[in-house]
Amino acid sequence: MGLLTILKKMKQKEREMRLLMLGLDNAGKTTILKKFNGEDVSTISPTLGFNIKTLEHRGFKLNIWDVGGQKSLRSYWRNYFESTDGLVWVVDSADRLRLGDCRQELSALLLEERLAGATLLVFANKQDLPGALSKEAIREALALDDIKSHHWCIIGCSAVTGDNLLAGVDWLTDDIAARIFTAD
Amino acid sequence: MFGCIWQYVYTTFLRYWLKWLIRQATGTCELQRICSGYKPGASMTTRAEYSLKSSKSQVLRGSLDTNTENLEQCVDQIMRAKSIQPQKNPQFKGTLHTCLLQITGYSSLYTSVEDLRKVVFSSENPDHEAMLLKLWDHLMPGAKLESRITKQWGDIGFQGDDPKTDFRGMGLLGLINLVFFSENYTAEARQVLSHANHPEFGYSYAIVGINLTEMAYSLLRSGALKPHFYNTVQGRPELKHFHQLYCYLVYEFDKFWVSEKPESIMQFNQYREQFHEVVKTLLRSPDVSLKLDSNSN
Repeated sequence: MGLLTILKKMKQKEREMRLLMLGLDNAGKTTILKKFNGEDVSTISPTLGFNIKTLEHRGFKLNIWDVGGQKSLRSYWRNYFESTDGLVWVVDSADRLRLGDCRQELSALLLEERLAGATLLVFANKQDLPGALSKEAIREALALDDIKSHHWCIIGCSAVTGDNLLAGVDWLTDDIAARIFTAD
Repeated sequence: MFGCIWQYVYTTFLRYWLKWLIRQATGTCELQRICSGYKPGASMTTRAEYSLKSSKSQVLRGSLDTNTENLEQCVDQIMRAKSIQPQKNPQFKGTLHTCLLQITGYSSLYTSVEDLRKVVFSSENPDHEAMLLKLWDHLMPGAKLESRITKQWGDIGFQGDDPKTDFRGMGLLGLINLVFFSENYTAEARQVLSHANHPEFGYSYAIVGINLTEMAYSLLRSGALKPHFYNTVQGRPELKHFHQLYCYLVYEFDKFWVSEKPESIMQFNQYREQFHEVVKTLLRSPDVSLKLDSNSN
């Protein structure tokens, strides 16, 4: 039995999942992470480097990696790809000017070999802001319907109010579980 | 478990019996003993604060929430309640008054800081915009800003073309701290900026600054900064004292980062936590006084 097989078995036993959360700066990644974990979200500052949290959710052990989104940090994203089960792509739905950037960065990620097996959840965040685009508009702007390589889903949410965060994570964990835990 | 029981028994019964016994033996109350037996600063004020907070008397407990204008009267009331004769204890009134100024000043400092933090940076507010441009001018005297929205902001460590989204949860407080450092410690700020722009061991100057504002804010909120302010301000701590503490953190964090030579900026949170621990350890010393000292290198 190879080392990888053993590791995979251990992972199955603990029902452990590795989620990688990426997106442009100011998309709301850290706020989503903290809100989901029940922490105060009013005093967040920009992320330099990354945050990691391990939390239990519906019997799964989620290792969530939240990596800073500013341009100079994006070249480091690749260091976090390994063994990712789920990719959470966070979009600031009110930032219309950078939707082009956002689409490019996402499509580059989807070409990455090490993310090939990962499920993609797109959070159309900041739905509580008056200028926010709907999740349908984001779906179109990011050309999500062209994605054939990954299971994906888009969910409109608000990290500040917590709206729909659970729905998103539930979908993501279900999809991953169906893929990796039902083999035996 | 035993510790908890002991703590409970001590604070509910033993402490009062002990205080009563000592009072009978020495003829002085706990506050008098604190005000005459400890040196002014954190040693005295922290003890006075604890004594007042755990007092059974409404007058004593209420003194912790008194406005500055009413503090003198409040001290008189305490002296009456505790039958302390002004003639026999000429120092007591002034000493307790100073302690109370420090204690109540700390709470109102937190309120002022919190008010600034809650102000969201707005491009429509000319004052906010002026402050942002001032920051640029102090840090980059040789370079002119080409336009308000420009990649140049990256040169002083903002994330993108427009700094307005970088202040986040720290709001205007983050900007005021950045400006205060560059205005009052210009040489030091430029030195720190040059380290931050180092090609190998650099970091984002402004973003790290905003993260350190968050550190200063959370230290203030948790009460960890009390000994520092009790030792360094002989009265009510003001906003400028908070900004000075922030300057100390930025300057010292830079020294720490430069000496540790982290592999990359991705390690930021790890080093931030280590630095945070160092600061918290310093703050546990009763003699703590955190002052930016650029001559110590």
